[in-house]
Amino acid sequence: MAEKENEMPMEAVLGGGSEEEFGDKMPRRYQRRRPRQVVPEYVDWKDVEYLRQFIPERGKIMPRRISGISAKDQRRIATAIKRARAMAMLPFVSDN
Amino acid sequence: MANRTYEVMYIIDPETSADKITKLNEAVGKLIEKEGGSVVRMDDVGRRTLAYPIDKKTEGHYVLFEINGSGQEILELERRMRVNDMIIRYMTVRVDEDRKKADKMRAKREKRAERRSTFRKTEDAPAETAEAEA
Repeated sequence: MAEKENEMPMEAVLGGGSEEEFGDKMPRRYQRRRPRQVVPEYVDWKDVEYLRQFIPERGKIMPRRISGISAKDQRRIATAIKRARAMAMLPFVSDN
Repeated sequence: MANRTYEVMYIIDPETSADKITKLNEAVGKLIEKEGGSVVRMDDVGRRTLAYPIDKKTEGHYVLFEINGSGQEILELERRMRVNDMIIRYMTVRVDEDRKKADKMRAKREKRAERRSTFRKTEDAPAETAEAEA
């Protein structure tokens, strides 16, 4: 039941930010692994445009299972997003 | 002693007049120099809309400093920023360690890409794929 509820936002996420090729057939729940994504060596917390890629509409940080980046990269991205949030460059929550 | 690099960013109340802002920025630079640090880069980003309101303000004037120093000047700078009511928010991030790590990683990646391409060449396969991955 809970998993079913999760279906919608995930699809929205996948439909939104990615430029990777997904084909038109969507797997039942979500793509297990996105193609490996290269995260720059230095994640700049001021580079809002880059970080937006990991923020779906709601303003949350995209989970790793969807973005498909490595755990290490996820940590770096997450801290960068949190820093940008503290400086009001990114929202904590957004309603739209 | 310890040489560290910091990024200090602060948001100034947008209602502050332009010359007051420049004065404030100069004062910050002077303070850093006085405390034994050096300003590597100063970037007056300018007005930006805030992602969420702070003190009922929806806009802010962003200023970024990159500072080399021991950390002593940061202490003093933060103390001053805390009491300054023109500054509605500030943050200091230490960047030298992360940059070092990034350089290391970059070197590693380059090395790997190089190894891959030489391997491909000996196999007489096109080396373009290795470049595309890098």
